[in-house]
Amino acid sequence: MQEAALPSEAKCLADAKEVQSTHPRAGEQMSGAEMVIEVLAQEGVDTVFGYSGGAILPTYDAVFRFNERNRTQPEEEPMRLVVPANEQGAGFMAAGYARSSGKVGVFLVTSGPGATNTVTPIRDCMADSIPVVAITGQVPRSAMGTDAFQEAPIVNIMGACAKHVFLVTRPEQLEETIRTAFEVARSGRPGPVVVDLPKDVQNWVGHFKGEGVLDIRGYRQRMEALATQRLSEQKAKDFFALLEQSRRPLLYVGGGAIHGDGAEAVMAFAKEHGIPAVTTVMGLGAVDSTDDLCLHMLGMHGTAYANYAVEDCDFIVAVGARFDDRVAARAELFAPLAEHVAHIDIDAAEIGKVKRVDWSHIGEAGHAMQSLLEYGRAFGFKKDYSRWAAHCQELRKRHPMDYKQDGDLIQPQAVMASLNAITRGEAIVSTGVGQHQMWAAQYLDFKYPRLWMTSGSMGTMGFGLPAAIGAQFANPNAIVIDVDGDGSLRMNLGEMETVTTYGLPVKILLLNNNGDGMVRQWQRLYFNDRFSGSDKSLHKKDFVKAAEADGFEFARRVDSREALDEAMAAFVGFDGPAFLEVMIDPDAGVYPMVGPGMGYKQMVTGDHIPGREIPEIGSGRTDKIDQSEMF
Amino acid sequence: MRHIISILVENEFGALSRIAGLFTARGYNIDSLTVAPTDDATLSRMTLVTQGDERIVEQILKQLNKLLDVVKVVDITEATHIERELMLVKVEAVSTESREEFKRLADIFDARVVDVTATTYTIEVIGRGSKLDAFLALLESSTPMEVVRSGVIGIARGDQLIEGSHEGLLR
Repeated sequence: MQEAALPSEAKCLADAKEVQSTHPRAGEQMSGAEMVIEVLAQEGVDTVFGYSGGAILPTYDAVFRFNERNRTQPEEEPMRLVVPANEQGAGFMAAGYARSSGKVGVFLVTSGPGATNTVTPIRDCMADSIPVVAITGQVPRSAMGTDAFQEAPIVNIMGACAKHVFLVTRPEQLEETIRTAFEVARSGRPGPVVVDLPKDVQNWVGHFKGEGVLDIRGYRQRMEALATQRLSEQKAKDFFALLEQSRRPLLYVGGGAIHGDGAEAVMAFAKEHGIPAVTTVMGLGAVDSTDDLCLHMLGMHGTAYANYAVEDCDFIVAVGARFDDRVAARAELFAPLAEHVAHIDIDAAEIGKVKRVDWSHIGEAGHAMQSLLEYGRAFGFKKDYSRWAAHCQELRKRHPMDYKQDGDLIQPQAVMASLNAITRGEAIVSTGVGQHQMWAAQYLDFKYPRLWMTSGSMGTMGFGLPAAIGAQFANPNAIVIDVDGDGSLRMNLGEMETVTTYGLPVKILLLNNNGDGMVRQWQRLYFNDRFSGSDKSLHKKDFVKAAEADGFEFARRVDSREALDEAMAAFVGFDGPAFLEVMIDPDAGVYPMVGPGMGYKQMVTGDHIPGREIPEIGSGRTDKIDQSEMF
Repeated sequence: MRHIISILVENEFGALSRIAGLFTARGYNIDSLTVAPTDDATLSRMTLVTQGDERIVEQILKQLNKLLDVVKVVDITEATHIERELMLVKVEAVSTESREEFKRLADIFDARVVDVTATTYTIEVIGRGSKLDAFLALLESSTPMEVVRSGVIGIARGDQLIEGSHEGLLR
């Protein structure tokens, strides 16, 4: 039914001649593969992560030829090709590149297994709203659907995970498709876009137009409306009316504040009115965590003072945050004293999805917060929240983050504190998933956005190392540290070699507790110490030797408290790839903890953080919690 | 509550599977789904019948609005509308008595016998779903040999147009 409406190829060629593209190669005859690379260059791509294979060979060849053609001096790579150990690594490298730079990350893999290996990073990028474009080779159009060698139904598989999947069936629309993929990845709520590219389309030869995008009417119209959406004066008045009624307002800042370039405006707004802020795990760095107004992370493993502030506030202003289950497991128990909830998000579907809101604005966090800041000034809005801010400071003093200070074993929190003393919130940090991720989130400072990279929503173990590699490519002069766990590091251990292959000064800080610590923590709490499948004390891996085998010139292990600070300083200061393994107390737990499916009133602060002693009727619910509701 | 959602989509590869996939992934149910190109060959129109409370239907509309292929989404149940479904029923009609009876029944329902053999009638019934249900209920004593239903299509009454209304785009 589609073909009839298609412009014929001849018509396309005619159209191409009319196009007044400024691209120097516009009008030239070239292969589909070359067009792909020309468009990538046009989109500002300087690094492509990927692993080659049969169905993507023509495009790899085009990268090689592009570099040959555009090289101005020997060895220069205008479009760098970074080859991982496994395609999953390429996906997370592109994600790390995107997260740390704000630009679209690109990865290029072959059909079948190459493409399916990137399903996890694609889903991960979707869940954390990270803009990447994945180009996957596909068997030739004529072979599709025949169970050909290295064939997989990528449109179907990725369709369920990505923001969008394009299958290029019409080569004359190839360049438009690639451009549109970038547009879609960036626009609105960012996300991953997959372009499935049959091999014969890569080999097809046609006229390069040098410009043009696909006609995606509905989507583009909605995105344009979104981009031009301004916060109206009336809406701002309504907002300040709610703020006026409030005595204890709290900013609840999520990853959207970072993606939507809102960090500066959020901070300015907080400062202007003296309103404290909590951030989600994705929002770390959106508010300078060393600022007095920042109460750090809220949620399941948030700081006690952030969570108590959520309990106490009477007006919650969510900026690019989505009340997910790690923050508001039970929406009705979240911020129970909040008389009003305001919500700013780029995605209309997030408004009212979990929590009923009294005021909302659909748009970019940066624009929205800047508008509120300016309207507030124009209205002459002044209200003194200093008593509330002082109360939050008092919470911080009374319920500070703390951990076991005695004993011979190294406490993981002390490792984070030791690192933080050196990096002071200015290094790029990535993590795997589990206890080490939460300790890093709790104990490290982040002064700016895009310094903190973690698999927040998907919780993908193995994210840390490849993400750090990608971030180092995007920020060659930055200190990039992968804080990892022994379980997570194993998942993409092959990428250790990628670090040294490319001579990247990536730092890997391994907190080794011989097992899956977070799983063990839950098994201790909810499964009567039955450590099914989570103990790795019998594993034989010598991580330091592994690092040495991969060419790390700095590879050390620390197992005494006394040696920690010296080793940490040498590690961070090392000029080149560095690996530091710290043997930590295997019984250390992550606290505070709000159990799954519970409200913050039931937060357990552990042995070292003083909690509020409010006897709570029914707080014994821990024992009765429905196992199927726990995740 | 039952909702009839009209969706204009790009007549593109994979659009149908993406929409169906959204419903599967998010656990929304589909009572019926019809799809065909419109007078504009680059567009298809889907009519989807689903069940859910206000909150769920709001999410369905918002999630649909995020899809690239979706040009326009409207919950036509919100306004007065016309809905129709087509059903073809094959029944065993051997005796004169039963042939008469089916004919009479068809007349009452404004239905037509569209195919006849020595032993069967095929009856075409058009109307709202409830009318089709009622027709089938009446046939219960003589179980139909085969039933095929098209699923619901719907359109708003009056001068309301799916293309013309700009609401719903940015809700």
